[in-house]
Amino acid sequence: MTELVFPIATPHPRPGAFARLVRIELLKLTSTRLGYGLLAASAGLTALWTTLEASRAGQPGGPAPISTLAGQTSVITGGAWGLILAAVLGVTMSSGEFRHHTATLTYLATPARGLVLAAKMVTGLFAGAVFGLVGYAITLADGLAFTAGHGDRLVVGAATLTDWGFGHLVSAALLAAIGVVAGTLVRSQLAAVIGVFAWTIIIESLIGGLFGTARPYLPYTAATALAGAPLGSANFGPARGISGVAPLPFAAAAAYLAAIALAGALIAARTAVRRDIT
Amino acid sequence: MATIQIRGLVKRFGPVTAVDSLSFDVTPGTVTGFLGPNGAGKTTTLRILLGLVAADAGTATIGGRRYRDLPEPPHQVGAVLEAAGFHPGRTARAQLRIQALAAEADPSRIEDVLDLVGLAGAADRRIGGFSLGMRQRLGLATALLADPEVLILDEPANGLDPEGVRWLRGLLRGFAAEGGTVLVSSHLLAEVAQTVDSVVIVDRGRLVAAGPVAELTAGGAGLEDTFFQLTKEGTR
Repeated sequence: MTELVFPIATPHPRPGAFARLVRIELLKLTSTRLGYGLLAASAGLTALWTTLEASRAGQPGGPAPISTLAGQTSVITGGAWGLILAAVLGVTMSSGEFRHHTATLTYLATPARGLVLAAKMVTGLFAGAVFGLVGYAITLADGLAFTAGHGDRLVVGAATLTDWGFGHLVSAALLAAIGVVAGTLVRSQLAAVIGVFAWTIIIESLIGGLFGTARPYLPYTAATALAGAPLGSANFGPARGISGVAPLPFAAAAAYLAAIALAGALIAARTAVRRDIT
Repeated sequence: MATIQIRGLVKRFGPVTAVDSLSFDVTPGTVTGFLGPNGAGKTTTLRILLGLVAADAGTATIGGRRYRDLPEPPHQVGAVLEAAGFHPGRTARAQLRIQALAAEADPSRIEDVLDLVGLAGAADRRIGGFSLGMRQRLGLATALLADPEVLILDEPANGLDPEGVRWLRGLLRGFAAEGGTVLVSSHLLAEVAQTVDSVVIVDRGRLVAAGPVAELTAGGAGLEDTFFQLTKEGTR
């Protein structure tokens, strides 16, 4: 008999096995300082970014005046760093197993590697949602503070603010799940983390700048649109601020990002997850 | 109790055949040393046995089942493969909490195994500050957490001080005396000679000799001389 493949899932998973795997991943995440450090970095960068944006509002080259709908939108939906660092968190959750050689213990305890990947993705959804919410809380507070500081009134409705908050939660959660998949496929933590920054800051900016019609379908851009940001406003470089193309509707953007995560997970389960742990 | 059975095992890494038609048994109630020079295929064999590396041919079973097919792997097999296999930023206690949850082991076992391996005083320190010997002890604590029937250990004495080596010897002998199955790879032949009942000697992926230590050294030569004679013959 030849052993050529690893199990994707146990034939008959024990009841509650998946919930236990998610608890294990949450315990892994909360028992080191990395996750907290990334959350702090995300909060700090978000605060710095939105404060700079808000202080430039109404000035040449800056966002629209803070008294306007466009200006308030630009500041309050500016939680891009929360989204990017949620993806980085997802990357570290999976690639960290190889960086620290903990994959051996993980797979000894749970030989069904596909279930481990699924549990990491679900845990990434939870953790990413926290990043999204914290980021939004900061941008919202910044936006409200600058609006009040200028003696202006808030022109964004409560329902829209709620939608943006939900959008930040969903988009950061989905980007973290995509990050988990990326870290599984690449395994090298450094390469995967650099890849996240390169993709979001450089590659999407170049593609978005060169091919405007492709912008709604670029994952990071779609995630920022999901969070309420006008298309291109959260991009960097050539793609920043370009208008004329409509973003994907909320449900379509969420489904699109979820499809990317699931497709990546299926590819990983058939390839990287089966590799030897040497 | 579970017998380890290796049959016709083959593993190639590109042009290199790491394990070449290897077959042997490890029976319950014994401590079996798995010996061979560096690159002999010991670690690869253990990783195949534990479902971490896929074999190109052959079978490796524990109690008649592949590791992946065991109903509760951590309750049946405890393994220590890499001293570095812990997150350096995690405390020993947190690591064991994770493993206890993964193994569905009674959480009260955490304190038991910490005491057993002598790490109770260091339980709340981050593993990054541990010595190699402390990591080995933590690995053993992890392996023993779910009270398994089989122990598979890869160079467990590495980094242990003389007191630790003595403690390990007692642990393995006691485990086998209670009917457990122990397979331990090591290059510390003098230490192995004092601990094991049987040996499996491999060289360049192939079986060189297997059997009780008393039989292999019946000619009067010690285990170390026998090992060098057998592996030297293999290189001719």
